[in-house]
Amino acid sequence: MQKKKFYTGVASALLASTVLAGCSFSSGSGDSDSGGSEDQVTVDIFQFKVEFKDQFEELTEMYEEENPDVNINVKTVGGGNDYGQALKTSFSSGEEPDIFNVGGPADVDEYEEFLTDLSDTEAADAALEGTLSAVDRDGEILGLPFNQEGYGLLYNKQVFEDAGIDPESITTMDDLEEAVQTIDEQKDDLGIEAPFALPAKEQWVLGNHLANTFLATEFDNNLNTAYEADTVEFEQGDQMKRFLDLQADYSVGPVLSLDYSQQVEEHFSLGNVAMIQQGNWVYNTIESMDPEFAESNVGLLPIPVEGQEGKLPVGVSNNWAVNNESEEEVIQASKDFLDWMYTSEDGKKFVTEEFKFIPAYEGYEDQNIADPISQEVYEYASAEETLGWVFMGAPTSWTEDSLGSAMQEYLGGDIEWEEVEEKAISGWESSRQ
Amino acid sequence: MKNKSLAFWLFLTPVILGLGIVVVIPFIYGFIYSFTDWNGIRATAFIGLENYISLFQEDEFMNSIWFTTKFAFVAVILLNIFGLGLALIVTRNLKSSSLLRTVFFMPNLIGGLILGFIWQFIFISVFGDIGNLTGIEGFNGWLSTANTGFWGIVILTCWQMAGYIMIIYIAYLENIPKDLIEAAKIDGASAFQRFKNITFPLVAPAFTISMFLTLSMAFKIYDQNLSLTNGGPANQTQMVAMEIVNTAFSDNDMAYAQAKAVIFFLIVSVVALTQVYYNKKREVEM
Repeated sequence: MQKKKFYTGVASALLASTVLAGCSFSSGSGDSDSGGSEDQVTVDIFQFKVEFKDQFEELTEMYEEENPDVNINVKTVGGGNDYGQALKTSFSSGEEPDIFNVGGPADVDEYEEFLTDLSDTEAADAALEGTLSAVDRDGEILGLPFNQEGYGLLYNKQVFEDAGIDPESITTMDDLEEAVQTIDEQKDDLGIEAPFALPAKEQWVLGNHLANTFLATEFDNNLNTAYEADTVEFEQGDQMKRFLDLQADYSVGPVLSLDYSQQVEEHFSLGNVAMIQQGNWVYNTIESMDPEFAESNVGLLPIPVEGQEGKLPVGVSNNWAVNNESEEEVIQASKDFLDWMYTSEDGKKFVTEEFKFIPAYEGYEDQNIADPISQEVYEYASAEETLGWVFMGAPTSWTEDSLGSAMQEYLGGDIEWEEVEEKAISGWESSRQ
Repeated sequence: MKNKSLAFWLFLTPVILGLGIVVVIPFIYGFIYSFTDWNGIRATAFIGLENYISLFQEDEFMNSIWFTTKFAFVAVILLNIFGLGLALIVTRNLKSSSLLRTVFFMPNLIGGLILGFIWQFIFISVFGDIGNLTGIEGFNGWLSTANTGFWGIVILTCWQMAGYIMIIYIAYLENIPKDLIEAAKIDGASAFQRFKNITFPLVAPAFTISMFLTLSMAFKIYDQNLSLTNGGPANQTQMVAMEIVNTAFSDNDMAYAQAKAVIFFLIVSVVALTQVYYNKKREVEM
């Protein structure tokens, strides 16, 4: 009996080991010397931007051709949540990538011990004023910005012209209200359903973008100030309420079930509404609906903020980071690649023409920025007529779960505006204790 | 002990390994992590029951439990009524009965996410248009309030799952001996009496299974919730599963979410097992 048990144990152990060997994991931490000469360096990139996956892979191939001793593997996992989850998994399982993406300062904190100081790279020198604030830790630059993004009120030029409104003349909230009323009065003649489409179903549209416009001044346009703040005052809360009311009152409804794709595709691209509050990222969607409309009929108007008229909220949504636990030469190769991408002539051309990025770096004056909305955003950014993206420095998920959700309750008529501010303030304070 | 031969263990190993690696080990890990401050990358401290204490004080989590319970209650009742109803229709020797079975079962073959988007379109656009044409207020503004969001998910779930439950009832209905029914007929029992005194007791085992399935399904629903309302407006239609996912992946509070998941697991298993125990007692053997 004893003997039998022993054999059973051995057999199961053997079988177990073969099964496990079958699915053994390849160590992907960059030091794999798979194929090629001894000098071959492999850089593993783990990035989140699905939209430019193909173009990015094309770029890495171009780089590999120029630098035969560098081998780059790109892995793309898409969409905000999934990426964070997948990156965590790869770190906790030891399959750490050499180059990966970090978003706001909270991400930087979380991965701080893995981040290489990139301040000696050319790209870090070339980065535009303000684009490094999320990754700057006491002079150490822990990441390099992807690109810039900006938002405001996108308007239908044709509708504005037919309604006899000069977009240039809209600088204050009063002007905007007047223009909206003018449009609303003649909406049947203009062939539109309503002046606005407010996708209040999307908490990020309310809590991130709309709110940020009126919170930026309070935090000196610096997301680090917001990141370190113990509380939020809502100094411009009245204006925030006024702007939210304006959009909600003059929107196609019901706003609470209106989502982002309906807003952009069904309502704006098809000319159902005169204005939407969105940013340059909607260009491709509009283009896929109606290329002509996208090319010549979309204008960008800053959201009016008292004392900050004519300024557009522009920010960096994501950064490249280099893993400092990779080997020395891999780190160097990673830095070289990032430099090449953002500062070499070939790289620059690719970044603007293929990625369609709004560059976050100097030296792009002679490049063609792909689409008209991005072009306008870059103009605001180079003229430094910008507001910061301070929502990136708010407590994790505060913008959506606390503020965005309270704004939805307000729009649903469940609570008053004062309660929105109270809820948001207590939400901020409790997560910053 | 005879069957514990070498072959026995050999055949069992893949399954045990699979189950162990995919279910048991992660479960134990998760349970341990729920007592720490694990953030997905590393755990720095063992904080005991702190996560469990704070989750009972969190309004959002408690609201989602209450919302899910309400939903499960309504969904289980409606699903079983519809499932049994459909099963009775298609077992009546109609010409079209096999076609009907296919049609009723079909929604179950479509994934929850897709169904959510289809119904979102129906609730928002189609209902909106009907409302505008007929002037009936009730059709307007679906999914923009917590109440319509709730009924939206109930309708979607019933539409999707009723066909599946129907199949289970059909299996039991077709096993009822015809002679019993015939004898009752001869004795002069009305259609309702035959249903109440013969059919109903004999399909009781199907109730046990269906209740178990619908109950645990109703508690664990996620994809329909995600694509139909995404918890909105104002997180009022957020089910527990979704609340946990959001805590873990958007609030980045892994250990805390893990603690919620443990509580959720306990609730679902207690409810489901109690229900099975009581229904088992009521079943009749033939």
